Amino acid sequence: MSKLKILEYPDPRLRRVARPAENVDERERKLVEDMLETMYDARGIGLAATQVDEDVRIVVMDLSDSRDEPRVFINPEILDRSGSQCYEEGCLSVPGFYAEVTRAEQVKVGALDIDGKPYELEADGLLAVCIQHEIDHLDGKMFIDYLSPLKRRMIGKKLRKQQNSREKATA
Amino acid sequence: MGPGETADGELPRRVAARAVLAVLDQGRALDAALLPLLEPLSDPRDRALARRLSHGVLRDWPALDWLIGRLVEKPLKGRNRSLHFLLAVALHELRDGREPDHAVVHAAVAAARSLLGQRMTGLVNGVLRNFGRQREALLAELPTSPIFRFGYPGWLVKRIENDWGESTEAVLAAGNEPPPLWLRVNRRRVSRDEYLERLSQSGIDARVAQGFPDALVLTERMAVSALPGFNEGLVSVQDGAAQLAADYLELRDGQRVLDACAAPGGKSAHILEHHAVDLTALDVDGERLARVGSGLERLGLEARLLRGDAARPDEWWDGRRFDRILVDAPCSATGVIRRHPDIRWLRRDEDIDRLVAMQREIVDALWPLLEPGGILVYATCSLTKVENDEQARAFLERHADARGIDNSDRPGRSAGPGRQILPGERGCDGFYYFAARRLQQ
Repeated sequence: MSKLKILEYPDPRLRRVARPAENVDERERKLVEDMLETMYDARGIGLAATQVDEDVRIVVMDLSDSRDEPRVFINPEILDRSGSQCYEEGCLSVPGFYAEVTRAEQVKVGALDIDGKPYELEADGLLAVCIQHEIDHLDGKMFIDYLSPLKRRMIGKKLRKQQNSREKATA
Repeated sequence: MGPGETADGELPRRVAARAVLAVLDQGRALDAALLPLLEPLSDPRDRALARRLSHGVLRDWPALDWLIGRLVEKPLKGRNRSLHFLLAVALHELRDGREPDHAVVHAAVAAARSLLGQRMTGLVNGVLRNFGRQREALLAELPTSPIFRFGYPGWLVKRIENDWGESTEAVLAAGNEPPPLWLRVNRRRVSRDEYLERLSQSGIDARVAQGFPDALVLTERMAVSALPGFNEGLVSVQDGAAQLAADYLELRDGQRVLDACAAPGGKSAHILEHHAVDLTALDVDGERLARVGSGLERLGLEARLLRGDAARPDEWWDGRRFDRILVDAPCSATGVIRRHPDIRWLRRDEDIDRLVAMQREIVDALWPLLEPGGILVYATCSLTKVENDEQARAFLERHADARGIDNSDRPGRSAGPGRQILPGERGCDGFYYFAARRLQQ
């Protein structure tokens, strides 16, 4: 397994729409392993392939406190949604920022598992939020897109400043 | 700066304040609110700090809220509402004194700046410095009722006083003590003493607990994944009180057993570690039931997982009776407040009656599924008598073919036909157990 680099906003590669996986093979399984390792290392609860610069529709998640309940969604699709809820969201690609985002309260998701077998999942609460957040990534969308353009520009500016000072520190 | 890393510690304070707001203003569970908020904090110390502060504020909310009311002229509403919670975090820190006052004020001001820009930083700075100056006088004025001294809502204090009389203060105080880490050794794989030896070889301090045959209590908290043999299923995390269910069931190999409200599955696992039984793990929530399965898998155990409502056996029962039924009923969870400081604010007094009705419905629906001669164990992690002693007593009155089983040699105190462990007693969560045998007719 190897750890991957997580892209940070405003990296334009976060804006690409990812392609569906044609099959679930050695390559996809290796990517899932690496994404899980990357997510655990970053202490995240969800990661989309887009965030690690991979052009394929794969999401990994783990919402457990014990960090031992990995979930894998290959070619995930939202089949049904209902209700609405407002959650304060953050993102590994937008470190240090939060925003309230309104999303569906319940979703029904179809996806392939790590063996390429199709399955369906009904989710609500945080799980539903997280799934919608990660599928957005695969469509080149981020949670800050739900904010006003002004606020988004401010976040972009702050992040660029952080990134610059980090580059200087490691130079 | 790295992701989420802040020189002045403002981010973990902001996260704590936000999590408390999610609980108190939005009625959300603390763990679910914290999970996504913690994600951008890469430093484990920041994460631990945000967690500790949010717990601390929820445990001391009435006093903090009162202090803010005294220190802030106009209530903080609308977009300034977040400052109310930021101030609560800072006041909590000033009271507990772990950090020097100036560092606390500095972090709070920085947090206010990143939330709302420069315009409210003066208010935060002023309020916190005023508290510093008037500290003694203000704290002397703080009301002295248990609500303020222990940080609980009035209705819950009243219920506990009513039910537990002179033990009230001990119960309230215990709800503010973080629990020790209890382990349950998988007796199928390793004996408790062998595992104790393995812990000591790894430099981990633990002790045995009288009356809890599979349990070890760690002296210090640690990451579960760092326990020797955890991934291989030698050991699980489970409070001592929850480990008594297996004893109450008086299991024998080959029995048909139903765990009727099984998620997250700790008691199911313990049952299977004890005896080679045919176990059905039932839960109404499919998501949580899947977690029961993954938990059993780690331990190398197997059960029949069944999704269904315990109060509606006609929807899932195959018509074959059970020798043992465990009903770990949905309850007010007032016995585990020390683990979940948010429970006291999320529960409402009127929830209790609704829970009592649901508990009654479940035990009544399951009773006919018990083989004559079999045992049903009713358990809650609550400490209200309506959910416990009174529920058990009423059950015996309704069912002529039920006899309470004497368990007076087990931990806890006698409470109606069952036994109550109050929170903190013997290091345990608050729990109630009642066992009934179905008579041959």
